[in-house]
Amino acid sequence: MSGGAELGFTEHLFKVLVIGDHKVGKTSFVKRYVKNQFYEELKTTIGVDFSMKVIDWDSHTRVRLQLWDIAGQERLRGLNRVFFKRSSGALVVYDMTNGSTLDGALNWKHELDSQVMLKNGRPIPAVLLANKCDETKVCRRNASLLEKLCQEKGFIGWFQTSAKENINVDEAAKFLVKHILQNNEESVKEEEQNMQINLKQQSKSNSTCC
Amino acid sequence: VERLDNIPPDVLRQREAKWLDMLNSWDKWMAKKHKKVKLRCQKGIPPSLRGRAWLYLSGGKVKKEQNQGKFQELDSQPGDPKWLDVIERDLHRQFPFHEMFVARGGHGQQDLFRVLKAYTLHRPEEGYCQAQAPIAAVLLMHMPAEDAFWGLVQICEKYLPGYYSAGLEAIQLDGEILFALLKRVAPVAHRHLKKYKIDPILYMTEWFMCAFSRTLPWASVLRMWDMFFCEGVKIVFRVGLVLLKCMLGSQEKLKACQGQYETMELLRSIEPRYMQEAFLVQEVSPTHIHLSFGTCMH
Repeated sequence: MSGGAELGFTEHLFKVLVIGDHKVGKTSFVKRYVKNQFYEELKTTIGVDFSMKVIDWDSHTRVRLQLWDIAGQERLRGLNRVFFKRSSGALVVYDMTNGSTLDGALNWKHELDSQVMLKNGRPIPAVLLANKCDETKVCRRNASLLEKLCQEKGFIGWFQTSAKENINVDEAAKFLVKHILQNNEESVKEEEQNMQINLKQQSKSNSTCC
Repeated sequence: VERLDNIPPDVLRQREAKWLDMLNSWDKWMAKKHKKVKLRCQKGIPPSLRGRAWLYLSGGKVKKEQNQGKFQELDSQPGDPKWLDVIERDLHRQFPFHEMFVARGGHGQQDLFRVLKAYTLHRPEEGYCQAQAPIAAVLLMHMPAEDAFWGLVQICEKYLPGYYSAGLEAIQLDGEILFALLKRVAPVAHRHLKKYKIDPILYMTEWFMCAFSRTLPWASVLRMWDMFFCEGVKIVFRVGLVLLKCMLGSQEKLKACQGQYETMELLRSIEPRYMQEAFLVQEVSPTHIHLSFGTCMH
């Protein structure tokens, strides 16, 4: 999903899912990240909400991030198949003050991996967000548990975040984007290699038949 | 087509008298003069009688009479904690700026809780779907909790059956139907959505599941619901088609939204003129829908 390179300037367009159980703060996270605002009362998301964040990554790279904020209620998951298509990464959110939403986040991750993957068959990068950290604290034991969970379940990392207090919001997103860009580079390289192999094979087969 | 708030008081009083007359001999009107009822719904139900009229039109009144005491019985039961938890979390997220629902734990929120809880007890196998909350909230703005409950029952079971059930197959099917109808009504819009692989679910879920209550300006919501209660789900389809046609119906409009995201963005911010009460009522009325939607092309 990369744009054309002009004078060494590249523009990328990535679709990032924001998923997790309902009421964990997905919409608040997105609003903080995109608009740097926090609202105490937000309407429930029904279906999906979209936002765009443009990041000037470095002097020759711009990233356009499409954030797909997906309804969290169990009942509405029948539609996920449609929402998940062609996404490049995911922020999986849970609410630190509500333990069951961590299980929920793991279920979401599982569903994500069963529906989307990178071209090379690996899971798309996903970051686990322990949201509402302004209301409670991650103790050391929890931290090591989360670390372990990340490894087991294939998250590329975790952050404790607060959309309300603007803690780690940019950092978490940046971390994800970095991985998406790396994947993107790798897949471009792989494609180039494949093309070269194809060319070689073609020229080989050409030579034998002559 | 007139806007309801522009109607002179004496005309409004006449209409109220007509509606009272209808409501007082409802069965006769529905059996023999249904066309007239439909026409009056298209003209808009007088605000003072709207709640009653909705309950009559939907059949909720009959259900309520056939099941006397049922709501009170459900209301007195504790309910399944699994659903109560989800419902409670949603109470303050319905029309948060409406005076009725603004106060945490206020009457509006309490009634909303009672109605939604009662439904999960009425249909335990269905439970609660988040899209039911705005529907129930709109009903509660017009009628007491018991009536709103029966109105909700009718919407979930008669008007939009299966929309809120597990799997959400009914809404996905109606998405496909909407898209097929669009091909006939607005081929340019249809082609564009197809080109960018924009699944109907991406733009119609909230429209249909909430019967446009979270999309249109308030005056339009009420007028659409007046017709919806009389004519059923086809009104929802028509509104959807009008909006799609108006927003994506000409090459010129599409120039600005070349891409999936751009198109969805456009459908999220529909131009106010296409959602205006008078405009929508006119476009949605049956005499108009088969024509070329002349007005929205300019």
